[in-house]
Amino acid sequence: MEQSLRLTVKPQWDEIESARIEVGVYLQSQGLMRDAVHSLTMVISELIENGIKYGSFTEPEDAIAVDIHRNGHTTTVEVINPLNIKDKAARNHLTKLDKTIQWIRGYQDPFEAYVEKLKEVSRRPLKDEESGLGLVRIAYEGKSILDFFVSEEGCLNVSAVSHFRGDNHEKD
Amino acid sequence: MQIELIENTNSITMVWTGKSTHRKPSEFISPILAETIRRSNASKKRIIMDFRRLEYMNSSTITPIIKILERAKRGATEITLLYNKSLKWQDLSFSALEIFETQDSKVEIKGVENHVPGNK
Repeated sequence: MEQSLRLTVKPQWDEIESARIEVGVYLQSQGLMRDAVHSLTMVISELIENGIKYGSFTEPEDAIAVDIHRNGHTTTVEVINPLNIKDKAARNHLTKLDKTIQWIRGYQDPFEAYVEKLKEVSRRPLKDEESGLGLVRIAYEGKSILDFFVSEEGCLNVSAVSHFRGDNHEKD
Repeated sequence: MQIELIENTNSITMVWTGKSTHRKPSEFISPILAETIRRSNASKKRIIMDFRRLEYMNSSTITPIIKILERAKRGATEITLLYNKSLKWQDLSFSALEIFETQDSKVEIKGVENHVPGNK
């Protein structure tokens, strides 16, 4: 039977920790073990961070929606934020998001992609604050398959699908 | 997150505790790292970065750490990074940093299985 949770997160950085705590409590209540809860809350945190960084929040009610669906051993996380597709920065973000997800899929093992990204980022100038590690970390540490689409309403929906079966993450 | 600096006869230990969730953690971390490296170079002491009591870090926190490891590989600074191998997230995050290890042990990445007092 599918279980789900929807959270609405204000696009403010301090809200991320509250969302992490709420999601953690929910996942624990679903019987997930500590390591799986940590993995999934990391995935959600990284996606909400991206949502805040690249979303378009012009109206007071604009927010980030976080949907978590549990079905057997599969957990699907969706983080949805409004996007101003006419904005050049938003279009650049979509292009980069697409390229990064395709790039990660090009590796059989996400660990290899993560290591390549670590090498690349480590050689950047010290003052360059951009991480660029978030999505590949989700794939490697979060053991998640990433995807995205832009809805007709102009919202960006980024999803991460994880399977915890057989790796001692989940209670029997 | 807090970073506590403890200077001993042979080393300078940076103890990282709590959760690192800031939008730009480099603004907090980089000056501390720079000062620690300056002290290390002046005193020829090894830097020990102890992450065993860290509860969470976002990906932006990893960036300044790997930049320092990469520069240490090519420079004179000696660094040992300690993490808690018993915590799966720490094992995944920090074992990947073994790519920065050097054969002469100038940069070491060590996973420790033992219990860390105060760890949740």
